Parts: sequence; C-alpha cells; structure tokens
Amino acid sequence: MNGAQHILEAFHRHHISTVFGYPGGCIMPLYDALVDDVDVEHVLCRHEQGCALAADGYARASGKLGVCIATSGPGATNLITGVANAHRDSIPMLVITGQVPSALIGTDAFQETDVLGMTLGIVKHSYLVDDTNALPGIMEEAIELAQSGRPGPVWIDIPKDVLLNDAAHTPLPAPEQQSAGCPDLTQALAMLREARKPLLYSGGGISLAHAEDSFRRFAESSALPAVVTLKGIGNPGKHNPFNLGMLGMHGSRAANRAVDECDMLLVIGARLDDRATGKLDGFAPNARMIHVDADAAEINKLRPADVAIRGDLNAILQALATALQENPLAISTWQKQCRNWHTTGGFQAADNEEPLAPITGPAFIRQLSRIAPDDTVIACDVGQHQMWVAQHYEFDHPRHHLTSGGLGTMGFGLPAAIGAQFADRRRTVINVTGDGSFMMNAQELATIRRYNLPVKLIVMDNQCLGMVRQQQELFYNNRESQIDLDDNPDFVAMARAFDIPALHIERTDQIRRGIETILAYNGPMLLHVAISREENVWPIVKPGASNREMIDETRRPSTANKEQVA
Amino acid sequence: MTQQEDTSIPSYTLNCRMSQEAAALERLCQVVRIRGFRIARMAVESAGEHIHIALTLEGTRPIAMLQSQLEKLHTVAEVALGQSSGVRVQTA
Repeated sequence: MNGAQHILEAFHRHHISTVFGYPGGCIMPLYDALVDDVDVEHVLCRHEQGCALAADGYARASGKLGVCIATSGPGATNLITGVANAHRDSIPMLVITGQVPSALIGTDAFQETDVLGMTLGIVKHSYLVDDTNALPGIMEEAIELAQSGRPGPVWIDIPKDVLLNDAAHTPLPAPEQQSAGCPDLTQALAMLREARKPLLYSGGGISLAHAEDSFRRFAESSALPAVVTLKGIGNPGKHNPFNLGMLGMHGSRAANRAVDECDMLLVIGARLDDRATGKLDGFAPNARMIHVDADAAEINKLRPADVAIRGDLNAILQALATALQENPLAISTWQKQCRNWHTTGGFQAADNEEPLAPITGPAFIRQLSRIAPDDTVIACDVGQHQMWVAQHYEFDHPRHHLTSGGLGTMGFGLPAAIGAQFADRRRTVINVTGDGSFMMNAQELATIRRYNLPVKLIVMDNQCLGMVRQQQELFYNNRESQIDLDDNPDFVAMARAFDIPALHIERTDQIRRGIETILAYNGPMLLHVAISREENVWPIVKPGASNREMIDETRRPSTANKEQVA
Repeated sequence: MTQQEDTSIPSYTLNCRMSQEAAALERLCQVVRIRGFRIARMAVESAGEHIHIALTLEGTRPIAMLQSQLEKLHTVAEVALGQSSGVRVQTA
C-alpha cells in the first residue's frame, strides 16, 4: 500500500465516512486512491475555507471528528481560517494537506508554502511526514490526539512522494483505554454548601466532553440557578426553571445580575472569556470560585480559583449530582430571587401586532424558534443576527446551536450548515446569516445544490455590517466607516442562479408564512428577510467595561467615546 | 535576588525536554512569545530522540501560566522551573 492508501485505511479503521476537501497538484495521490474507495464519502466544496468550516460544522453537530483535505500552497492557506476557527472553539478536526515532494521543500517550488511553520499557532499539534513508513502511526496518533483531552485540530502535511511511496503494513497497537476517574470533590461540595447564593456558570466544555446529559442531570438535581456562555447555550435545557440564559456582552440583565450578586461561582467547562466576563476586575466581585475543566491550563489562567478541579467532566458531574441528590442545597430564597430577575430581566421582544410593520430581528427569531422542529440545528454566522439567535431562540441542546464563538468567523454559517446536514441528512438544518456574512462563503451554495442538501438559508439583510455600525454609533460618536452594503446583489436572484428557490419578505405579517414555506419545501430554499438598517442588539456592554455597565435602548450613552473597541 | 525597581521585569529559567520533531523549537518559541514572554537566553542540546532546552525568560505575566501552556504541547515531555525565579532584570 502507498501512503495515500494508508490514509484511507486509517479512515476505515476509525469509521470516518465523510470528509470535506478540494483536490490539487500535490494531494492528487490521495484523490487517486479515493476513486477506488466506496466507504469514504468525499464532499467537494467550492473553496478550501468552505471545506474546513464544513468539517467543523460536521464535528460540532455530530460530536465526531471533522476531516478536511486540501493541496499544498493556496489550498493549505485557504484552510487556515477554518482551522483557526476550530482551534479557538476546541473542535476535533483532522487536516490533511499535500506538500511539494520532499526534495523540493525549501526550493520555492510551485505551490510550496511552509504550512507547518505558518499554522503552529492554530493547531493542537501538527506533523510534516518525511517517511511513508511513519504515516500509519502518525495517522493513529493524530486521530486520537484531535479528540482526546481538550479536543482541537491536528494538521498532517504530507509531501507528494510520501503519498506515493509504498510502506510496509505493520499492525498498529490497540488504543489504550483510559479510565475516567473522579477527583476528590470534598472541598468543592463543602464550599457549595456554605454558599447562600451559588451560581452555575457553564460553557462549551460540556459538549466537548460529551457531558450534556450528565450536566443536565446535575443542574436538575442541584437546582442551581445557571448562566451559560455563547457556546454553552442549550444547556441545561429550555425547560430548566433556573436557566437564566446567556451572560456577558450581549447577555441578559438577569444573567449578568446573578453573576454580580452571587457569592459562589461554580464554573464548569468555561474559560472566562472576555466577551462573557466583561472587565475581569468587576466580574462576580463577591464570589468565591470553583473551576472545573478538562484543561489544566485554563484553571487559574485569568482568575485564581478557590477550588480547582481538573478531570473528566462526565465523572465529576455524575458525582456532584449524586451528592446533591442525597443532600440538597437549601437556597430557595436565592432561587426565587433569580427567577424574579429572569422574569423581569430576561431577553424580551414584543411580537409586533402591526401586520404591515417592518420585521425586527428579535421578533423574527422568536417566531422561528416557535415554528421550527425541536431538534433543528441552527448554524449562525457572525454579527447581530448571531446575537439575536443566542438571545431569542430557545435551544434545548447545545449541539443544536452552531456558532463561531472564539474566532468570530464571518462566513462560518453556510459551510457549517452543510457539515451539519451531512452529519444527519434527515435533520432540519437552518443557516441564519446576515448579508455581510452570507457573501463570505456564498460559493458553497453550489455545494448545497450539488448534493441536494435540504439546508434552509435565512438571510437577515440590513444592507450593512450591522454589528460594526452599532458599535460605531454607540462608541465612535456615530461616525460610520465602511459599513454600507446597500449595493448587495439581489439575493433571491442569486440563490435562483444556483437553482435554489428563494422568497423575499419584509413585513411582520409575512414572517410565519415565510418560515413555514421554506421548512415545508423538500429541498434547499432561501428566505431573504429585509430588516431595518438602524436596529441594534440590546443589551450591550461596551468592550472592556464591566458587565454591570450594560446599555439598553432606553439608556444609550449620551456622549459617545472614541476609544478603541476590540 | 537583586534590589528591585518598579520598572523591572521578572526573569525566570525554564528547562524543557521535548521530542525531536519538525518545528519542535519553533513551536516552543511561538508559545513563549504569544503568552507574553521574551527569550533572553536559550541553550539547546540534542540527545537522541529528545532535545533539551534551557530558557531564560523575561515577562510580567505569571510564569505558571506559561508553564502549563508549554506542558500542553504534545512534543513536550517535561517543563521544570529553574532556580532563578525572582531574579529581576532592570529595563530602564
């Protein structure tokens, strides 16, 4: 077997049945081997960034490894944004690129780039393979590494000659089974019992550990008031009475208030990101903190933990749930207080009763949430629509909400939706996007058409880069700079050019029919939703400010500040 | 330990043992830089399948944060903080 065939054998061995890629010169031996392979479905995207982001969406929706493939040079560099996206959100991904033949490395050969060097900061690990005999072992190690501990992308760069050379078949050792022991929780439980106002704060780490069910059981048995990060949305479920929703820059007043007032913060699978905490000095000022995470480097990184627990989240959550079931916490006053805050300070948006009124983002998303099936996967892009989805769509599972959290990659949503649809062909998958984000990977409409994926596309079009415009309005003295997109193409005609039917709506009374029409259609369909250019996401915390300083529509800053906004 | 000034930057020594792989040193140096430290001195010695690196680093962030990030690298087998923690380098 040659190197390329060894790669496919590793795919078979690990039940990898779907990969996303784009061929080219130095990766041709692998594409040649794919011709004879009936077990691996190769999805041809129309840009390598689409391949990487589709693999990312596949991994997020399925919990499996995402795989993307490209050639050397521009093929590899085009992958980079997608791989960085996976790295920032700890998504398990295997990246395979062709490289120029070994003898030509370092000669500035055609389509040569130093892939290993330029990707060091965006991978969990990477390899440049210099011997075909080493390739089977590297494949095994890379696949295991991408999915173990804190997951992440692992990149294998393979010179063309290594793909073509034969390697001896050597049996590989069976993977070691690691037991998931539970660390000592005595101190954490004691601190929980001492607290009068304990709060549960969770993030994307719950899904990375495949611990959604354990987390839900723990949240129910503890009855702790709970806030979530953007990536934690869907936990601990929409029916949990103490779920206060998202905290942070665009979080609810209730969630941020609870953090501000709590005396104990139980952080599980979250890394205290600046978009969630706001100014760290003012974050949970009265609280002691228990930090539970799979990654030791996240503990004490930004705020010292009073109790630090590193380990398998499933085992820890199960042990905590058992302990609290046997001896429940006595926090009824605090629970009642949090519920009151949630009633008065949760995300709210009035359903506009005026049928001819323009559509507002929050009202549209709330209707979508009511109409779409419960297990719908929503793949967002980045911007105002992303925050409206986070605020107003009621998710019941974190794998139903695909969003680019760490990197904030415009153009994520459409290829991520493609990946999610390949993860489950029968699932309703909707890409909710904005006019700015949609244009960043619109070429993938051709992928949807090619594979006849029933992905639904909702383009919320405000003819501008709304989130940038909003921050320019609020924090840059309303000096708009390079945000106008009023020369957008006709998105309905554009979709139809890809043989995807499309519909335009602009009035409140058209929302329901628009949503029902695209959901009922047996195939891909685009809904173009015209919304106001002037609409903002409320509330908002100014970047760098404390979450206590939330601004809402009734309390816009009277004097805007010309400060750098990150 | 020398007399400290407000403008001084803490200095540390770290000893790392890591696998001999392509870009191993670059990977180490990249983490040191992005996590807020400057390499003041570096000694590298190859020993079979491993390389030993002795680093003198300057930076104002907690050294434990860098140590835990380096320990996450797949090729790093061991990171040990040397004795010079607390020795400070004057900047101005």
